Amino acid sequence: MTSKTNSLAILKALTRLLLVCAPLLLASPSKAFAYADPGTGAFIYQAAYAAFLGGAFYFRKFLDRFWGRRK
Amino acid sequence: MTAAHDSAPPSNLSFRDPGGTLIQYNGRILRAVHPRAAADLETFLQTDCARQAMDSGKLVRSVRVSPSEYPWIETECLLEHERIPFPSYPYEWPAEMLHAAGELTLELARAAVVEGFRLKDATPYNVLFRGGDPVFVDVLSFEPRAPGDSAWIAYAQFVRTFLLPLMAARYFDMPIDRALSGHRDGLEPETVYRWAGPLQRLRPPFLGLVSLPKWLKGRETAATYQPRASASPEKARFVLDGILKSCERQLRSLQPAATDSTWSGYLDHKSIYSSEQLAQKEAFAAEALDVARPQSVLDVGANEGHFSFLAAKRGAAVVAIDSDAAVAGSIWRRARREQAPVLPLVVDLTRPTPAMGWRNQECASFLDRARGSFDMVMMLAVLHHIVVTERVPLEEVFALAAEITREYLFIEFVAPDDPMFQKIVRGRDELYSHLTQAGFEAAAARSFDLVRSRRIDGMHRWLYLYRRRQNNN
Repeated sequence: MTSKTNSLAILKALTRLLLVCAPLLLASPSKAFAYADPGTGAFIYQAAYAAFLGGAFYFRKFLDRFWGRRK
Repeated sequence: MTAAHDSAPPSNLSFRDPGGTLIQYNGRILRAVHPRAAADLETFLQTDCARQAMDSGKLVRSVRVSPSEYPWIETECLLEHERIPFPSYPYEWPAEMLHAAGELTLELARAAVVEGFRLKDATPYNVLFRGGDPVFVDVLSFEPRAPGDSAWIAYAQFVRTFLLPLMAARYFDMPIDRALSGHRDGLEPETVYRWAGPLQRLRPPFLGLVSLPKWLKGRETAATYQPRASASPEKARFVLDGILKSCERQLRSLQPAATDSTWSGYLDHKSIYSSEQLAQKEAFAAEALDVARPQSVLDVGANEGHFSFLAAKRGAAVVAIDSDAAVAGSIWRRARREQAPVLPLVVDLTRPTPAMGWRNQECASFLDRARGSFDMVMMLAVLHHIVVTERVPLEEVFALAAEITREYLFIEFVAPDDPMFQKIVRGRDELYSHLTQAGFEAAAARSFDLVRSRRIDGMHRWLYLYRRRQNNN
């Protein structure tokens, strides 16, 4: 690739970046740059597992408090 | 590090991440960062997790550089990354390397959580290899995490691009390149579901990674993807860490086992070289390496990498290619064990990896990356496979070698009388009557000058060290 076509490729890449910038200025921070496909069924499965872990968290807290009082 | 050259084509032009763009210019790897992502990236690079990862070589070294050095790049935040010598892509890796890349990804994801950051994408394209060691190169993958955030948004991508291809390799004998080269974002659970048997679908790991996602597909609504903040940051961290640990367990259970293929043990067990003959070959190789003193070597048809490691011991950075994934995997294991700078890739020189991606420009072809990148090319005990099995004319082999190497070619001539040659020619001897030693040397002389040669005693094999004629561009 000649340096001219290299520069052209770079400029094109930057134009793309700038074009993407505009709508992002309106997006909320937590969603602005997340672009990986979160999946469909896999996402729901993860949410279900997360709910299970949430329950496990409270159960563990409960056990800690229970044994803590004993100690 | 290999010297860069201006004519290098852009590699992994990353335009998908809205947070920034990767640019290769004059051998330097630069990243222009979106203004809103810049501050967070700076903060991340200052964290303990990032500093430790950069010091240990697990995260690519990244420094802020002044944009004024590159006035034509209009950005306020410009980073320069350490250049990893030979970029390679997941579809060229043996399963062991994909697994190692996954382990590194999860390790950094867990470390980032501790510092209040999260990994927003988890794809093997975030990882390159320095010799046998994986290096995470996409620093923009780290972004700040709200304290109540308990979901890992990259979970499904991690499953698609790491876990499912490893499962396909283990359960269906599917090579990694077949799983990954057709699909940028990996395998979908629905696809793997179709391959699995009815009972297999009900057992782990298929149940959680394949079947349940497939059965749950279609139940998502717009509300599904709305982030639900947890009231307790402690709980959110517990849940997120739990998800990451579960991925680690799944990944560990998919650790590729060392397999026995036709080619493994070629030099050790099924070897046709007696110990004296092998010693002669090694001695010649040592002399050749001492004469050439290459900084970088390409070992074609490396098999178990016996000569790759010889070159690495003498200070060369080696890329060892072989079309057999099992032997490439065994090279990787040894490279890790010995901490040797040998990068094994599953590449067939007669059908090398093509340019891939958008406009066939995102991922450079193997030959584009290889041309002019090596001081020496080794073709030991492989010429007969190229000429007989793949029917590539001898002149073409030398022409390609002359394109790839900057200086030296270390090649083993396997004559038609050799037993291995006879084994693969299967009656087509007439085709190779021109393949005499004189014919071989004449073909070489078109682009190369002989430095030294010798015959391996008692064999129809000759070793040659050639030097590329410099005016022959």
